[in-house]
Amino acid sequence: MSTLANTIAVRASGVDMFFGTPDNQVVALKQADFEARRGELIMLVGPSGCGKTTLLSVIAGTLTPQAGTVEVFGQRLDGLGQEALTSFRRQHLGFVFQSFNLIPTLSVIENVMVPLLIQGRPYDEAHDRSAAIIEKVGLKGREEGRPNALSGGQQQRVAIARALVHEPPLLICDEPTSALDKDTGGHIMELVRDLSRSPERCVVVVTHDHRIFRFADRIAEMEDGRISRVVDDPKLLDTAHL
Amino acid sequence: MYRLALNMLFGDRAKLAMLLCGLAFSALLMAQQSSVFFGIMSWTYTPMVNIRAQVWVSDPMVEQVNDAKPLRDTDLSRVRSVDGVAWAAPLHTSFVQARMQDGNFKLITLVGIDADTFAGAPAVLTQGRIEDLRLPDTVIVDEWGASLMGRMGVGPDGKPRSTPLKVGDTFEINDIQARIVGICKVKRAFTGGPFVYTTYDRAKGYTLGARRTLSFMLVEPQKGVTPTELCGRIERETGLKAWTSDTVIWNWGERSLARNTFWWFWTNTGIPFSFGTAVLLGLFVGIAISGQTFYSFVLENLKYFAAIKAMGAGMGVIARMLFVQAFTAGLIGFGLGAGMAQGIGRAMIEKGMPPFVMYPQILWATFVLVLGISFVSAIIGIIKVSRVDAASVFRG
Ligand SMILES: Nc1ncnc2c1ncn2[C@@H]1O[C@H](COP(=O)(O)OP(=O)(O)OP(=O)(O)O)[C@@H](O)[C@H]1O
Ligand SMILES: [Mg+2]
Repeated sequence: MSTLANTIAVRASGVDMFFGTPDNQVVALKQADFEARRGELIMLVGPSGCGKTTLLSVIAGTLTPQAGTVEVFGQRLDGLGQEALTSFRRQHLGFVFQSFNLIPTLSVIENVMVPLLIQGRPYDEAHDRSAAIIEKVGLKGREEGRPNALSGGQQQRVAIARALVHEPPLLICDEPTSALDKDTGGHIMELVRDLSRSPERCVVVVTHDHRIFRFADRIAEMEDGRISRVVDDPKLLDTAHL
Repeated sequence: MYRLALNMLFGDRAKLAMLLCGLAFSALLMAQQSSVFFGIMSWTYTPMVNIRAQVWVSDPMVEQVNDAKPLRDTDLSRVRSVDGVAWAAPLHTSFVQARMQDGNFKLITLVGIDADTFAGAPAVLTQGRIEDLRLPDTVIVDEWGASLMGRMGVGPDGKPRSTPLKVGDTFEINDIQARIVGICKVKRAFTGGPFVYTTYDRAKGYTLGARRTLSFMLVEPQKGVTPTELCGRIERETGLKAWTSDTVIWNWGERSLARNTFWWFWTNTGIPFSFGTAVLLGLFVGIAISGQTFYSFVLENLKYFAAIKAMGAGMGVIARMLFVQAFTAGLIGFGLGAGMAQGIGRAMIEKGMPPFVMYPQILWATFVLVLGISFVSAIIGIIKVSRVDAASVFRG
């Protein structure tokens, strides 16, 4: 298995993504190239509107680009049908969203069970595995409560538990800390790093938040719909515009 | 996932309550209106229930039991001579005015039965004996009519009375005295008037010797001859019309007079139309309220359905979740609505003899329609969710 580490997990090349009608077109991605490896935590940074979320969606297979190729774990996503894409996401992806997206009418543990149930796992198995990961994110005892009864940081912990409960090889986080205060954001990133780090897994985090750059192995900077450079050390970044 | 789908539904109490109200209300409206409809329609063939005989013979032009066309007296002997007839008795039915002691008039259904055989006599007498009808000027009145007419009379003290008529009380039919010797229990009729039984010959007197008084003939088949068979023979040999007396709506035969009466009222009155409108209204109200509420439930959860989609749930799974939610609400709503309809029906029955017949088929039909409402609601939700982009989860 360790031979997998540091092999390419995600490769996007020459990706174009436009929105809108031909005469009123918004270019979100323009000849974007991006690579992420197994075993690393890579951050995507850049000014608002530069296309970070769009690139993330393309990698996640929720958006299909107009041009370019997208390969995730050796699987070409461009050209896959809706059903195959859905099944791909079910098996390989975990999501953490900026706004948590926890279902308010379900309990904490039921929210965490969702990815396993979608995979068709038995209810009891899903329940046990969810309870175990809830304990890992430090919310033991809150399983039966509603998400709305939790603080923002706690809700994001639930979301992390949900994103990892089915042990996906690719974890995608869009602005996981921007709804949280500084300290909480730091704790959340620590949790992401501690829980998700594994030689087989690739973690892609989109963020504005330079306070968490230190958690990254590499940082890819985006500008006007493409990756402008990739650095290994956050200090090399010009953070003035962030 | 279905368990979670249910928890999502039950987690939003306010929406659930609204959804159940819509479904229950339309189930109630549909079940209750249909039951009242069949109740009223069952009143149209009440004489078939109250006057008991296996075979009825009428003039060939007769289409329904409330509209007798007089027969000739000689027809009786012609029917009696048909092979397979055990006996045939004359029957008189007409609507006449009865005059109460206080001078008020009341329209009654006068039934003249054969004094020898008492063919067509009421099944249950709560007071008196049927044989007393052989005494002069005697009648038997039905219980409900007795209380109705009782309230019109004048008591011994000259004041208006409030008690039902009882054995021994009198009133007048066409200036001829009618003395009550029995009170019977019968089913209420569409025409509303009380049933007053007397003998066939006395009925002639009460109707002032109308030229012809033979409304129907009641016929008993010999052993081994079925009513349907006998009807065929009577019609072939006499040219009269012969009917069976089955009144069970779900399996009455072609020759049933009750059936013909039912369909006569169905095609010749506005009853089916007005009740049909009420049932349709229930259906539309159900679709409107439930569809709308379910839709807003889906809208509220749209974000989460999009997230579930992003996480890799196909539309098949999501569609089934929505069906589970809609059908569960439908089941509960149906239970509540049908329960309320039955409750209302019971309360009505306790108060008298209401037009309320809740056939199991009504419940089944209501059940199917409520599930139809759920189905439509679910489809609307599914269309909405299928249009939402999984990529939208990253926005806002
Ligand atoms: N569904 C869409 N329809 C139309 N335009 C879109 C859509 N999604 C994104 N865009 C546009 O594409 C461009 C890139 O958007 P994107 O959301 O990827 O930026 P971002 O880098 O994530 O910005 P932010 O930091 O504000 O989240 C923007 O100009 C945006 O307005
Ligand atoms: Mg974004």
